[in-house]
Amino acid sequence: MKTGFLAALLALAAGAAQADVTIYSAGPGGLIKDLSAGFTAKTGIQTNVFQATTGKVMARLEAEAANPVADVVISAAWGTATQFAEEGLLLDYDSPNAATVPDYLKMPGAVAQGVAGLVIAWNPASGTPRPSDWADLAKPEYKDLVTLPDPAASGGTFTLVEAFVANGMTDVLEGLAANGAIVAGANKAALNPVLQGAKAAVFAGVDYITMGAAAKGETVEAIFPTSGTVVAPRPMMILKSTENADDAKAFVDYVLSEEGQAMVAKVFLMPSRTDITADRPLIGDLKLLPTEGAPAREAVLATFSGLFN
Amino acid sequence: MAAGTAAAGSQGSRTFLWVSVLGLLLVVALPALFIVLVAIFPRIGSGSLAAPFVHLIDTLADPDLARLGGNTLLMGAGTVSVAALLAVPLAALRALFRVPGALLWDVLMLVPFMIPPYIAALSWIMTLQPRGYMEQLTGVNLGWLLFSVPGIMILMALNTFPVVYFILSRTFETVGARYSDVGRVFGAGPWRAFARITLPLATPGIAASLLLVFAMTIEEYGTPAALGRRIGFEVLVTGIENRVSEWPIDLPGAATLSLVLVTMALAAFVLQRWLLSRRDFRIIGGKPQMIVKRPLGGWTVPVVLLFALVSSLATLIPVLAILASALCRTISGGLRPANMGLDNFAALLDAGGSGLTALGHSLALGGGTAVVAGLLGAITAYAVVKGRGRMRGFLDGLSLTPNAMPGVVVAVGIILAWNQPWLPLSPYNTPLILLLAYTCILLPQPVRYANAALSQLGDNLEAAAQVSGAGANRAFLRIVLPLIAPSILTSMILVFAVASRELVASLLVAPIGFETIAVYIWRQFDQGSVGMGMTMAFCAIVITTLIPLALIAVLRRLSRQGAPGLHPA
Repeated sequence: MKTGFLAALLALAAGAAQADVTIYSAGPGGLIKDLSAGFTAKTGIQTNVFQATTGKVMARLEAEAANPVADVVISAAWGTATQFAEEGLLLDYDSPNAATVPDYLKMPGAVAQGVAGLVIAWNPASGTPRPSDWADLAKPEYKDLVTLPDPAASGGTFTLVEAFVANGMTDVLEGLAANGAIVAGANKAALNPVLQGAKAAVFAGVDYITMGAAAKGETVEAIFPTSGTVVAPRPMMILKSTENADDAKAFVDYVLSEEGQAMVAKVFLMPSRTDITADRPLIGDLKLLPTEGAPAREAVLATFSGLFN
Repeated sequence: MAAGTAAAGSQGSRTFLWVSVLGLLLVVALPALFIVLVAIFPRIGSGSLAAPFVHLIDTLADPDLARLGGNTLLMGAGTVSVAALLAVPLAALRALFRVPGALLWDVLMLVPFMIPPYIAALSWIMTLQPRGYMEQLTGVNLGWLLFSVPGIMILMALNTFPVVYFILSRTFETVGARYSDVGRVFGAGPWRAFARITLPLATPGIAASLLLVFAMTIEEYGTPAALGRRIGFEVLVTGIENRVSEWPIDLPGAATLSLVLVTMALAAFVLQRWLLSRRDFRIIGGKPQMIVKRPLGGWTVPVVLLFALVSSLATLIPVLAILASALCRTISGGLRPANMGLDNFAALLDAGGSGLTALGHSLALGGGTAVVAGLLGAITAYAVVKGRGRMRGFLDGLSLTPNAMPGVVVAVGIILAWNQPWLPLSPYNTPLILLLAYTCILLPQPVRYANAALSQLGDNLEAAAQVSGAGANRAFLRIVLPLIAPSILTSMILVFAVASRELVASLLVAPIGFETIAVYIWRQFDQGSVGMGMTMAFCAIVITTLIPLALIAVLRRLSRQGAPGLHPA
């Protein structure tokens, strides 16, 4: 054990010295594992991957700011990309593979790896009628049976709340709060009680997580509400501080290649490229709620906590 | 600890003093310094000293702070009370009487250390919530109790009371029945003798262990995050974790709240020192002492039932719930036979070896941390208890500081300190950084254990050794160390257990591509594979319980063959 540990230590020290691509990525872990393995197989370039939540990735980047380690960053919140761009941290790169990525999924310095959508995650074994729209969950049938991810912890939920505020739909949130819905931490913490049946539905569930759970045999269904929903593009960025820009660009190219986008589709995320098919509703099939005219982040969160506390 | 301690035994402490000072500066003070710096200079992460104090004042002026601080104190005090209620009677019974199955109860009380608190909280949720395992088996659920402030306190006490149990059963054993026998000769009843003699003599252990529980409670993240968030009960540590883990990141705010938390723990520590400094608790003199335990008589059955009840709450139910989740193919399928199988265990052994690699990493790191923290802790406690001079209070306080620093903040401090571009050589991005992080977080445990043991040790033994010609270091190695070895060993087992499952710091500071048990479990949960995560948790609990047990068994055999002074329980 001790030799194994030392060997690992030496290998790591040596690995850090080589010019590999270092990628910091938000989940899902399986996706970034597949992408980096596929990239290495195709190009021969080694990768080092740090995978955590978007928040943990951002915290590590901020703590390392004096001496950045990462070359490529993939997060689950588009706002991280706009902030990094404002701070001048991003390397501008227009990948040739991004030609069929729609304009709203790219910006100077960032392009979407894939896109998640927001749904109602409903347990068909819960003994409740199948909901078809957000407002259904405020009905008496769902009294005390709904969970929400905390918009402070979940970028997707935040975008949905933002859209509700922008479109004058906060009465739905009021109805939910009055109906005993609970705010349950991050996305996974909101879904688990629904899987076991303690709750019937997640308001603002994440589509690919829900579909992934259903594919594993869990009794849960992802329902796209009739009044529309929001999407959360997952920005992929190259940091300006990289000493390894060519390999980093090659990685971005690979993720946006047909092979890379197929891996994205395999975990039930929507591919960024419009010419890639997937076994799920695609971004063009969804009715989207606009978020224009929403107040600042703090104000949106204040509105939300005013309703739920 | 009484005034006048600094007599004969203190000459040897000079070397130890410096080892301890250097060790603590490197392991504890350096990351702590960067936490203070980031609280004052919000842009220090990018190497800038701009806008000093602005953020500090904002965070301290936030009205939320009073609410978070109040909740933290409430939770700490409640948990300490419940833990004392659970542990003090059990420890006294275990130490002073012949309890049938004593070793079995010890083992069962050891297991809660091995269960990661977030896993324990999750297993309780899956057991008690509506349609949870309990309702599936009995038709009733206790969700209302679980998701409440008392529920949080009870759960945290169930996780932490073994600390009190182990420190106190050791303390009561040392106090023994000898002094209370004297009291009884003079006409005191058994209860009065216990309350007036045994209990007061055990004060150092009680104070040290309850302080440890308080500090562990206000620093613990998993339980309040899993249960408190749903009922709007936020504490400082969840506030801190949210600031570090939820974008946009607020490192200065997290650092400031950590300083508030550290202040709280230090206040409790000052209170403990004040309580102890008023009396002399030294009871181990030169005279050999027989540990004589009394029979329980008619009380045997109720006492055994009490031990069984507490250990099933603390150990059996959570472990069974973890096993149940590991055996279920899907969560929604529930505990039906058709939904159960060994699929997850097969997948763990099969999955390209990454689970086993993570297990190996954690065990190696846990063992390494136990050795480093155990030695540094013993030396520090010795320098503090038997040394003299102003450094003592400083060292003691510094060694306790990490106990009140949430793991995630230690991680941030360590990254800030060790990822500076001008460092020619840095452990950052190697597994050594985890060893540093774990040693920092867990150092308070061996220091507290050794401190409690040393406070009971008179100076005359060392003095006798020196009179007989032994040097100071030799006296420490041959006299003091063997006498405090059982306490150090207990604390090292605790360090091993906690280090091999630490999550919050590991997640942030782990070298790229390096997985530990907890990181592996977390990634499984993150991918929605609760069953896989629970399977790994179950295997890790079994392994981390068996390793220390094997070690204790070996040491017991050795001690029978004549290593003097070593009396493992």
